[in-house]
Amino acid sequence: MGLRDFFARRIKRHVDVYRIDDFTLEKPEVKKAVSRPDAINIKPSIEIKASRPFNFADIHENTKCSAVKFNFSEKSVNANNYRIKHYVKEDIKTHKYQIAKKIRTWSMLKQMQALPQERGNILKYVRKRPEVSKGEMILACYGPIVEGAVLKLALNKQHGTLLVWYKGGSRQLKAKNVYLIRRLGLGEKPEWRWL
Amino acid sequence: MANNTLGYMIIDGSEIMIRGAALVTDTKGFPLDFTRTDPLRPDQLARILYGESFGKYAKEKLILESLIDAVETDPQVWICSDHDILSPLREKSRIKTVLLEESPHVPLDAAGHIETTADPGVFLIQANANGAPMRAEFPSGVRPDEIQQTAALLTEAAATMDILEPFTRLEKALNFLATGVR
Repeated sequence: MGLRDFFARRIKRHVDVYRIDDFTLEKPEVKKAVSRPDAINIKPSIEIKASRPFNFADIHENTKCSAVKFNFSEKSVNANNYRIKHYVKEDIKTHKYQIAKKIRTWSMLKQMQALPQERGNILKYVRKRPEVSKGEMILACYGPIVEGAVLKLALNKQHGTLLVWYKGGSRQLKAKNVYLIRRLGLGEKPEWRWL
Repeated sequence: MANNTLGYMIIDGSEIMIRGAALVTDTKGFPLDFTRTDPLRPDQLARILYGESFGKYAKEKLILESLIDAVETDPQVWICSDHDILSPLREKSRIKTVLLEESPHVPLDAAGHIETTADPGVFLIQANANGAPMRAEFPSGVRPDEIQQTAALLTEAAATMDILEPFTRLEKALNFLATGVR
């Protein structure tokens, strides 16, 4: 404020007012900055119906087994960026794939009949041990074995088991236990005893 | 009693190869019927398509059905040691079926004694007087009278044979066929 203005305000009670018609400042340019990106709807057409995530084990546990068929193409079609690059003009051949419905079986009865049965030592389980003479000791007990049907017995010394071969066609059904008894004394050999 | 027969079903294998065998014996354990399958070797495509369910499919549909169809002498009771085939074996064969295993329990009072366990369908059966009781598992839904009949059959047979011994023979036979070593 100049001296003239000071006195004008005090004495004249007025102030010179200047009008400026031309506003020298440039108006800022206003631009719309609304961006419109190209929107692609990628909403999949999937509806979640299960209350919990899918678990393959559910199918594994609950599905009953059945013969399942699977078809597949003979020739592959190349694809790049979802556009078919190479197209096979002729009809695509399909092949059926299936695991065999039945497995071949073999009867091998004679070979099985030749195998011996194996009995373990059950002495620790025998509730009433047979009485033996003085100077005798029970080493092992094997059973039940049908004595009348036995073809051969052999002791597997490595495993302590008794191998039993039965005669085919025997109708004997009276079973006993066979005990391995040792007589105490020099030169005495163990003895098999049916009790 | 002379006509009593026991059947043993075993299906053994892995992802690479599965095979099975069925043995029917008299009550002395003497074989009356023995049938085994060719080994089933799934190729890579089968393993991809069937995934984890291949073993179940192969056991139930391929091996078990083939064996049941091939066995000529039907046993009075099927005995298995694999939980996977317990119910399918009962359903497909329509014969009494039980899964038997050794148990670590102390012997029960007497031969023929049955004791329930905490697991439904599982019992302890004292078949033989000299030995530990066997753990017997029955398929779900089996009637109590069928359980009693099966236990009675096992007890009768155990008087003249070792009930679980044929499994050892079956495994030896399958091993011999696979490797040629006894």
